[in-house]
Amino acid sequence: MSEEKKSGSHVETIHLPAPTAWPIVMAFGLMLVFAGLVTNIGISVLGAILALFGAVGWFRQVLPHEAHEDVPVVVERVVIETARRQVERIVVDEHHREHFPLETYPILSGIKGGIAGGIAMIPPALLYGYLSHHSIWWPVNLLGGAGLANWHHPSTADIAHFYWGGLAVACAIQAVVSLLVGLLYGAMLPLLPRHPIILGGIIAPVLWTGMIHATLNLINPVLDSNIAWGWFLVSQVTFGLVAGWVVSRQEKIQTAQSMPFILRMGIEGSGLTQEQDDEDHKA
Amino acid sequence: MADRTFPIEGTLDLTPAHVHEHTWLEVLHEWVTTVDHKKLGIMYVLYGFFFLLVGGAEALAIRVQLAEPNNHFLSPEVYNRFFTMHGTTMVFLVGMTIIFGFANYLVPLMIGARDMAFPRLNAFSFWMTAFGGLMLYYSFLGGSGLYGVGNAPDVGWFAYAPLTARAFSPGNATDYWALALIVTGVGTVGTAINVIATALSMRCKGMTLMRMPLFVWLSVVTSGLTLVTITPLTAAQIMLVIDRYLGGHFFDTQAGGSAVIWMHFFWIFGHPEVYVLVLPAFAIANEIIPVFSRKAIFGYPAMVAASVGIAFVSLGVWAHHMFTIGMTSVSNAFFVLSTMLVGIPTGIKIFNWVATMWGGKIRFATPMLFLTAFVFQFLLAGLTGIMLAVAPWDWQLHNSYFVIAHFHYVLVGAILFAIFGGLYYWFPKATGRMLNETLGKWNFWLFFIGFHVTFDTMHFVGMLGMPRSIYTYEADRGWGHLNLIVSIGAFIQGISVLIFTTNLLWSAFRGKVAGNDPWDAWTLEWAAASPPPVYNFPTEPSVSSRRPLWDLKHPEDPDWKYE
Repeated sequence: MSEEKKSGSHVETIHLPAPTAWPIVMAFGLMLVFAGLVTNIGISVLGAILALFGAVGWFRQVLPHEAHEDVPVVVERVVIETARRQVERIVVDEHHREHFPLETYPILSGIKGGIAGGIAMIPPALLYGYLSHHSIWWPVNLLGGAGLANWHHPSTADIAHFYWGGLAVACAIQAVVSLLVGLLYGAMLPLLPRHPIILGGIIAPVLWTGMIHATLNLINPVLDSNIAWGWFLVSQVTFGLVAGWVVSRQEKIQTAQSMPFILRMGIEGSGLTQEQDDEDHKA
Repeated sequence: MADRTFPIEGTLDLTPAHVHEHTWLEVLHEWVTTVDHKKLGIMYVLYGFFFLLVGGAEALAIRVQLAEPNNHFLSPEVYNRFFTMHGTTMVFLVGMTIIFGFANYLVPLMIGARDMAFPRLNAFSFWMTAFGGLMLYYSFLGGSGLYGVGNAPDVGWFAYAPLTARAFSPGNATDYWALALIVTGVGTVGTAINVIATALSMRCKGMTLMRMPLFVWLSVVTSGLTLVTITPLTAAQIMLVIDRYLGGHFFDTQAGGSAVIWMHFFWIFGHPEVYVLVLPAFAIANEIIPVFSRKAIFGYPAMVAASVGIAFVSLGVWAHHMFTIGMTSVSNAFFVLSTMLVGIPTGIKIFNWVATMWGGKIRFATPMLFLTAFVFQFLLAGLTGIMLAVAPWDWQLHNSYFVIAHFHYVLVGAILFAIFGGLYYWFPKATGRMLNETLGKWNFWLFFIGFHVTFDTMHFVGMLGMPRSIYTYEADRGWGHLNLIVSIGAFIQGISVLIFTTNLLWSAFRGKVAGNDPWDAWTLEWAAASPPPVYNFPTEPSVSSRRPLWDLKHPEDPDWKYE
């Protein structure tokens, strides 16, 4: 592809590869070679001959000199312009980094909140068991049933009965899940800009309960059929409110976002913060 | 860095009109013998679109069959052929051809070249692909061949062993499948080599690698991935042919072979193939979203790195298609983690597209509508992909309609939406006329509604336990109403595609004249005439930034100052 016969600043013809039928002949031939395997060997022979002709023709297109055609060019200067002349810069608020939490709750606050919430949700659960099935062990066994031997297709009386194994497993599940959710609250509450108790204590438990309600039937239909969802929601909201309240009462600590960039990068150096200067001075 | 951007010394083809007047036979000869990348690109796209209609018709027949319990709209044999041919067609004859059509048409224009590096190889590659497709569909007529019974392939698009053994698949239907894909594979490899060579060696003055349009970058990555992945597929198909014709035992478990080896060979092709198809969709998004948001792409280097990262990681995830075969825990854990790793570079891309749109002056013309839906739907597809990457979840839902819904979310919700957006965006460049916007909006909204009615519902059918590829089902399974909804959605999509076809045909002859740069865009192809002359640019352009046309349009505020 080259240019020839310059006229002013423009060329008059351009060399381009000449059109050729040999590629299609060769492709058709090769396809027939394969098609012959499932039809007739004669087709393959015909295909091989076509492919050979195609290859030879193709080689003759490029050897010893590449075949080309001269395409005439008539040009005029193209004006490239836009109707949108104005360029606006996106203004970035100088405080935009404050979207990152500058302060957060310590991990310990999440653990405290989880423990408090986990304890607070026990009374409504027990109350539900007592009012609905005249047994406080009903919710305990629902939660801890997986820890019981021979716990297949239990009857109503089975679930209402007391089992040491069920109590132990239920306590373990309650303790672990409460701690984990408490930690999640500790991490999440600083990210909720306003009304953290409402969002973390009410809206999140409602969404969480809705998600479990929608999916538990697929995961464990037996458990799903034995849960009273209204009471379940009450205990979840109780957890959320108490855990959120306990966490929000804790003193916040500063995150790495409040440090100078050089400190966040992990580079050590004296005199980078006023506090550090003061401490050095006292020492 | 240059102190000014390029001058394009005029690009309008003012060749007298009578020079272009030909009889239809001359026109046919011109197209059949052409080595011009633009004509070949258009043929790729038209060929792919034709097979989109064919594969779509097969899908509609499948959906009629499944719309109600105990239905016998199709016979079981025809049903098996249709779902096999639907999958094979959509992946190999629609997705691959259309994306390579886009690459063929656009890569030389975007880098300021006059053609592909190997124009004759380009023609040969197209015709191999085209003849491979014709050979595959000839199996409907000649599948019984000389030796036995059978018709079109009916072994599923992944053709698992030992179903493909001659004992279980007599006749030549499976042979047509293997041989036709070997033929198309040759064409695919040829085009991939051509794209890489073109992008690496034919860029215009000033276009460094880090100034290449992201479309070109992703075409190179896609082509590299194609070269790596087509190879094991072709090898496996040759082994299959040896098994079936020469008494080989590669996949014959009873004779010392392994059916699982076929799965490894197929999926080490098959999963990267998803990225071969979706990376060009990303490429289209990378061009359209900035132009219609009136902002430069956010995080160009990160987008390049993420693309290369996706290609690299995608080569190590294939066995997540095989969690249910009983791999070791270490293998399961490796493929769970490697699959989840893909979420990082794809997440970077989604964040960057959203960041590009953020604060922009967005114009919701039809291309942008399709690409906005693409971002949203690809995110959802990625999320269900993460779910399926978790081995225990996959054990429950493997080979269910949940998986079908997931990969159609990728192939239709992401790739086909991006392809439609790309067609609306570059149609004016290829034809000189605009596609009709009103029909475009109808096309988009019907396709969007139909897509979600179909594939959102399909997730639930899968979670209720409906396996893929079943011919029919009993009424007491509880799948009937949901399947009917899925089928209704499929027909809404079908109507939408018909509207697009009408728009395509009508606008090609009667559409509004587009001009060279109807979208006020920034890459080099919009500096050429619409349609571009055969030589693309009379003189070689010279660029100084990633958005050369922005620099020309805004000489007071050029990009090269900031790159």
